[in-house]
Amino acid sequence: MSHTPAYAQSRPAGGPVARFLRSYYIYLVLVAVVVVLSAANLDRFDLFERGNFLNQNNIINILRISAPLLTLVGAFTLLMVSGYIDLSVGSAASLSAVVYALFAIHGLPFPVAFALTLVVGAGLGAINGILVVRLGITPVIATLITLSLYKGIALLLVEDGVSAIKSGGGLSMPDWFNSYGRIGVMLGLPAAFWVAVGVTLVLVVAQNRTLLGKYAAATGGNPTAARLSGINTGRIVFLLYVIVGMTAALAGIARSSFMSLGDPLSGDGMELSAILAVLIGGTAFAGGEGRVLRSFIGALIIMALTVGMLILVPAYFQTLLIGLALLAAAASNHLISRKEVVS
Amino acid sequence: MTGEQPSPILSVEGLTKDYPGVRAVDDVSFAVERCTVHCLVGENGAGKSTLVKMLTGALQPTSGTMRVDGSAYQPTNPHQAREGGIATLFQELHVVDQLSVHENLTLGMERARFGFLVESDLDRRVVETLAMIEPSIDPSARVSSLSVAQKQIVEIARSASSGASIIIMDEPTAALSEREVERLFGVIRRLRDSDVTVIYISHKLDEIFELGDAVTVLRDGKHIATKPLPEVAGRSELIEMMIGRSVFQDYVPRATVGDEAVLSATGLNNHLLKDVSFHINRGEIVGFYGLVGAGKTEIARALFGADQCSGEIRFKGRKIGGSPKQAIASGIALVPEERRTQGLFTTLTIRENISVMNLRRLSDAGIFRSADERSAAVDYVRKLSIATDSIEKHTEKLSGGNQQKVVFAKCLFADADLLLLDEPTRGVDVGAKTEIYEIIRNLANKGTSVAVFSSELEEVLGICDRIFLLFSGALEAEIANGPDVDMAHILNVVTGGGGSVAP
Repeated sequence: MSHTPAYAQSRPAGGPVARFLRSYYIYLVLVAVVVVLSAANLDRFDLFERGNFLNQNNIINILRISAPLLTLVGAFTLLMVSGYIDLSVGSAASLSAVVYALFAIHGLPFPVAFALTLVVGAGLGAINGILVVRLGITPVIATLITLSLYKGIALLLVEDGVSAIKSGGGLSMPDWFNSYGRIGVMLGLPAAFWVAVGVTLVLVVAQNRTLLGKYAAATGGNPTAARLSGINTGRIVFLLYVIVGMTAALAGIARSSFMSLGDPLSGDGMELSAILAVLIGGTAFAGGEGRVLRSFIGALIIMALTVGMLILVPAYFQTLLIGLALLAAAASNHLISRKEVVS
Repeated sequence: MTGEQPSPILSVEGLTKDYPGVRAVDDVSFAVERCTVHCLVGENGAGKSTLVKMLTGALQPTSGTMRVDGSAYQPTNPHQAREGGIATLFQELHVVDQLSVHENLTLGMERARFGFLVESDLDRRVVETLAMIEPSIDPSARVSSLSVAQKQIVEIARSASSGASIIIMDEPTAALSEREVERLFGVIRRLRDSDVTVIYISHKLDEIFELGDAVTVLRDGKHIATKPLPEVAGRSELIEMMIGRSVFQDYVPRATVGDEAVLSATGLNNHLLKDVSFHINRGEIVGFYGLVGAGKTEIARALFGADQCSGEIRFKGRKIGGSPKQAIASGIALVPEERRTQGLFTTLTIRENISVMNLRRLSDAGIFRSADERSAAVDYVRKLSIATDSIEKHTEKLSGGNQQKVVFAKCLFADADLLLLDEPTRGVDVGAKTEIYEIIRNLANKGTSVAVFSSELEEVLGICDRIFLLFSGALEAEIANGPDVDMAHILNVVTGGGGSVAP
C-alpha cells in the first residue's frame, strides 16, 4: 500500500522520558538498589568480602543464594498472568528439597534423583491444578490447603529427633550433593543459577512465541472472551500449575544443594518473595499483564535488598527496611503503570 | 417471489420454543436473503432474544427447523453456531484488553507448530479484513487503548475473518455516540458488500430504515411480517405491525393524586442526560419510559445522588442530589435495577434485609432492639404477603418476586416519601407482578410518591398517572395516562420520531 494509514501518525501517549521510564523502570530500580548498597560501607558479615558490595565474590554469593527464587518466578508470573495464584510453592519447594535429599542419601545417582524430584514437583502442581480447575476451589484457598499439606508431608518424611535430612546414622550425603548449588561451572556461578537462567529464557520464549503465553494472557485478561474463542482455559491453567510445581521442585533442589541438607522448612516464605518479585516486576494482581523477564529482575532486586540489609543494618531493622523499600518500589510502579491507563 | 432470487442464506421453518406455561416463540417462519442487512424488530417480550438464542445455539427449539445455506443447522452451543457460519456480536464486549488487536483477531484460531505460534494466511486475512472494514484501527495497538466502538469493530472483524457468513448484532449501537454509530454503519455496509449477511436487532426505527434491506417483525412470539424495507410505508406501518393490538389497559385514574410538587428537577445534564426537567407530586405515580440507553437509570441515579450531574434537584423544598446518604436521610429510596447485586444482601435473612437501611430506628443509644426488628419484619412479610415460612430465610432462596418485595419492605421501613423503582418487575413472574403493582398503588394512595423507570410499556400504562417519554437522554414528551392514550404516538417518540410528530 502506498498511502500511510491514519494510525501510523499517532504515537503512544506521553513524552520520550515518560515512555523510557515506563519501559525500563524495573532495570533502573535494580541499578539504584545496587548503587545505594555499593555506596554503603560493608563490614559486618563474614560470608561476604569486606569493602565494596560491588565485588566479584559478593555478586557470586548473591546470585547463588538467589537461584531458587530466580528459578521459580518465571512460571509464577505466567500463572499470575492467567489470573491464578499458587501459595503452596514454598511448601512444594521444601517437600522437593526433602525428597531430593532422601533420594541422594539412599544412593540414587544425581540424574535419577534430579528427574524423580521434578516428577514429584509436577505431581504437586497437578494436585493444585485439580483442586482449582476440576473441583473449582478458589485458588487462594486451594493452595493455602496444599501449603500446609505439602509442608506437613515434608515434616513427616524427616525422622523424629533431627531437623533435616543430612549425613548421620550410617547414611551420608554423596559428594556430588552440594556441587549443583555451590560449585561454579561458568563465570564462577553454579549450575543451579544457570538452570534458573535457562528456565527463564525458555519461559520468555514461551510467553512471546507460543500459544501457552498468549492463552495465559487471554485467560487472565477476559476469561469469557477466551472461552468464547474456543480456548480450553481449564487446560491452560492446569498446565501452568504443573509447570509452577516443576519450577518449585527445581527451587527446592537448588536450596537443598546449597545448604547440603533436606530441610522441611527451607522453602518457608518463598511464596511471599515470589509474589513480591512478580508484583514489583509490574504484573497485574488481577491477571492479564506481566512479563517473565521483569519478574526475574524483580527477584534480583528483592535478593539484593535482602542480602544488602543483612550486611548493613542490625537484624531487628532488616525486615522493616526491606518492607519499606519494597513498598516504595511497588507504589512507584503502580503510579507509573496507572499513568499509562489514564493517558 | 423466492423463485427469481438466489436461495436464502438462512431459512427458518415453523420454529417454536416453549417454556413452562409460556410459548416464547410460536411457529415462526421466514427467510434471510444473502448479503443483506436483515432487521429484526418487536417490542420487549416479542420473542426476539429467544429467537436469537436459538440461532446461536444457546437454546434448542422445541420444534421447527433452521437451514443455513441450504443445509440443516442445529447448533447446541455457540461454538457449533460459529462452525455453522453464524457469529454473534453480543451486547457485552468479548475482547481481551491486554492483548493487541491482531492477537485478539486470531484468538483461538492460531496456527501452531509444537506449541509455537507460526505465521499463517490467517494473519494476513485478519489484517486485510480489518483494513477493509475499518482502516483507522492499528492491528498492533493494544485493545485497552481503543474506544468501545472500536472494540466492537474488532469483534466484528474477528467474526468476519473467521469465515462467518451471518453475523448477528444485538442492539450494537446502545453504547455508541452518534459519530460512532455512523462509523459502525459504514462497517456493516462494507461487510454486506463483501459477502456477509447481517441480522440486525434494534429498537431504534431510524437505524432500521437507514441501514436495513429487509425487516422481520415479531409480536407476542409470532411472526407478523417479513418485507423488503422499501415496501414498508414508513415508521407508522412498522409501529402498527409491532403493536397490532391495543395494549391491555387496566389503568384506573386515581383520586388521591395531590397537586403539591414534592420533587422538582430542573436542567439535569450529564454525559447522557440533556437538559431534563420535571416534577413529581405528592401521592403520584409517574413513569419514565424509553428504550435501553434512553437515560432512565441515569435519571434514577441522579435523583438518588448516586451520580453527579449539573442542574438542580429539590425535594420537599430542600436542595438534594449530593449523595445516596443524603437522599435516604431526606426520604428517598431506590429499588435498583439489579436487585440481586445492588438491592439485596442475598446472604442475609429477610429480617436482616428489611431493617438494614434504618437500623437507627431500632437502636437506643447504640443498643439494638432485636425484638422490634423481628416484629417489624413479621409486619412487612404480612403486609406485602411475602411468601416464606420464616423471617429467618436467606433471601437468596426466595423467588424473584418475593426478593423484590423484600427490597420494597426495606425501602418502606426506611420511611421513604419518594420511591424510585428501576425496572421493578424485571424477572418477576406474572402473579407477583400484579401484587407488586397493587403494593405500588396502595403506597401512592397513602401519599407516597413513586417514580417507575421501565422499558415495558404495559407496565407504565398500567400503573402510572403521568408518563415521561425519553429518547437518547432527552425528555421528549409528557403525557397524562388515560383510556385514550395514543400508543403509536408513544412508540414513535421513544424510537426517535420526535415529540411533536403525529403518526
